[in-house]
Amino acid sequence: MSSGAHNTPPALEAKNISRLYRSSGRGVSDVSISVAPGEVFGLMGPNGSGKSTLLRVLSTAIAPDSGTFNVGGADGLKEKRKVRASMGLMVDRPTHYGDLTGMANAYFFARAYGMDDSKAEGVLADLFDYFDLAEYSNDKVKTYSYGMGKKLALIEAMAHGPEVLLLDEPSLGLDYTSQLAFQSRVRDLAAAGVAVVLASNQVDEVESLCDRAAFLHRGRVVADGTPEKLISSVRGVRRIVATLRNPVEYGSVAEVGGVQRVVPEGRDLIFHCEERPGIVADVVAGIVRAGGDIVNLSVRRPNLEDVFVKLTGEALRDEA
Amino acid sequence: MRLDRPDAYWKKDVALFFSRRFALLIKMLYPIAIIVPVAASGMPAKYAAAVIGIVAIMAGTFGAGESLTIDLNDGILVRVALTPLSPYRIVFEVLAVNAVLDLVQLLPALLIVYLLHPVSVLWILAATLAIFATLVTANCIGIFIANFTSSPADVLLYATAILFPLIYLSGFFRNQHPTGVLRTLRGFVPFAYTDDAMKTVFGLATGTTPLEILIYPTIICAVLAFAVCLTAPRLLSQRP
Repeated sequence: MSSGAHNTPPALEAKNISRLYRSSGRGVSDVSISVAPGEVFGLMGPNGSGKSTLLRVLSTAIAPDSGTFNVGGADGLKEKRKVRASMGLMVDRPTHYGDLTGMANAYFFARAYGMDDSKAEGVLADLFDYFDLAEYSNDKVKTYSYGMGKKLALIEAMAHGPEVLLLDEPSLGLDYTSQLAFQSRVRDLAAAGVAVVLASNQVDEVESLCDRAAFLHRGRVVADGTPEKLISSVRGVRRIVATLRNPVEYGSVAEVGGVQRVVPEGRDLIFHCEERPGIVADVVAGIVRAGGDIVNLSVRRPNLEDVFVKLTGEALRDEA
Repeated sequence: MRLDRPDAYWKKDVALFFSRRFALLIKMLYPIAIIVPVAASGMPAKYAAAVIGIVAIMAGTFGAGESLTIDLNDGILVRVALTPLSPYRIVFEVLAVNAVLDLVQLLPALLIVYLLHPVSVLWILAATLAIFATLVTANCIGIFIANFTSSPADVLLYATAILFPLIYLSGFFRNQHPTGVLRTLRGFVPFAYTDDAMKTVFGLATGTTPLEILIYPTIICAVLAFAVCLTAPRLLSQRP
């Protein structure tokens, strides 16, 4: 984040936003956030916590039941077109016109955001090149993979030089190289003064990219702050990651003293534990007793996921 | 105009229209396949006119309604609505470009009809404009329906419910010589002017003048287009 950002008016400010879906009762309640120019702000929370709903409100797709927000000084409820013009948006499930080429899709959106012809051509060519899509820019989008579609959505969100970027799960489905390219571009944009709101459960990404982050739980902000500050609140927690050759019934390991939670992720079992002598040995013994064949084991420092677990007693990502 | 670089909503629709080659071929051929045999067959004028009217109504209603609901389901229309483009302008462009593209589909068949049944240039103009008015009206109905459903199948159902009384009023099959309230109501349905114009083209005089066909449907369509554009904020909003 650029120095002195806190002294400048926020690029995006939302006050007491509430929006509940009548059908499910889910949504967001009384959420307030403020994002300064040049700041990257992370929104984290499990599925159904309200991240996408909040982004839908902030993108002017749906109106809040109550609360106000403004973007670059423009009222989000009364000056929607002005707000939309200053915003770059990537929705959680990006869609495109499949029978048009990638470049035609991006060009259409760039012009819709008011870019002139020559500028649009130049910027889009650079972005297609940057995201390794240049080779496919004249292919129809219906031939694109999921990740290519996500990259195209990123290009569409960034091309017109928005003041505020709203990105919903932007790197989900991107290959490693593209994730790095995306993160690098976000850092460059932030350095140039763009405010970025990033809804993501990619813990590593939020930790490395975001200046501040907020946790949403059941529609409410349960904590916010810098990643460092949030993580410092869970000193005394260990994360043991065991990669197993075979899946095991891990219920008995969860009973080991000091183990707070067990989360399976692919072939990994992730143990959120208290920091106490012998905890690693006890967990390993528990896994072996349960019939697990450990092929890799690591003990990691606490991360934002541990913060969320501590705050809510629930996991960020779905448990099996 | 570069179709590979659409810089407006309507140009995007034109680009999509020409990008699906097989669909384009079918779209261009089916009006010819239906209308030309009718025009060449010596069928009674009132039935030949009805066939052309019904083809135009179906092409317009289902074209706009289905493509809109498909785009709504995809989420792409809501994404477009989140750009700074005016929603009213988007809906107007949807309406205008769909009506024009529908006319492009019908024009080859109409030209063959005019060749087989030569009439004055004024009547050719009046009949073509009446067909266009029918397409605009049908597209308005399709867009109106898309306000209430995001299912293409529902479009068919709702369209049938709306079109049946309008087709009846227009006198394509029944109500050919209406009186009283039915006559007054018929005057407000643009399809009726298509019916009269095409009957004239096929050699059956109706008493409706070319000037009436040029003016009344134009006014009615302008009102309908204005009304349907007012639904833009609802049409383009995110559906639950």
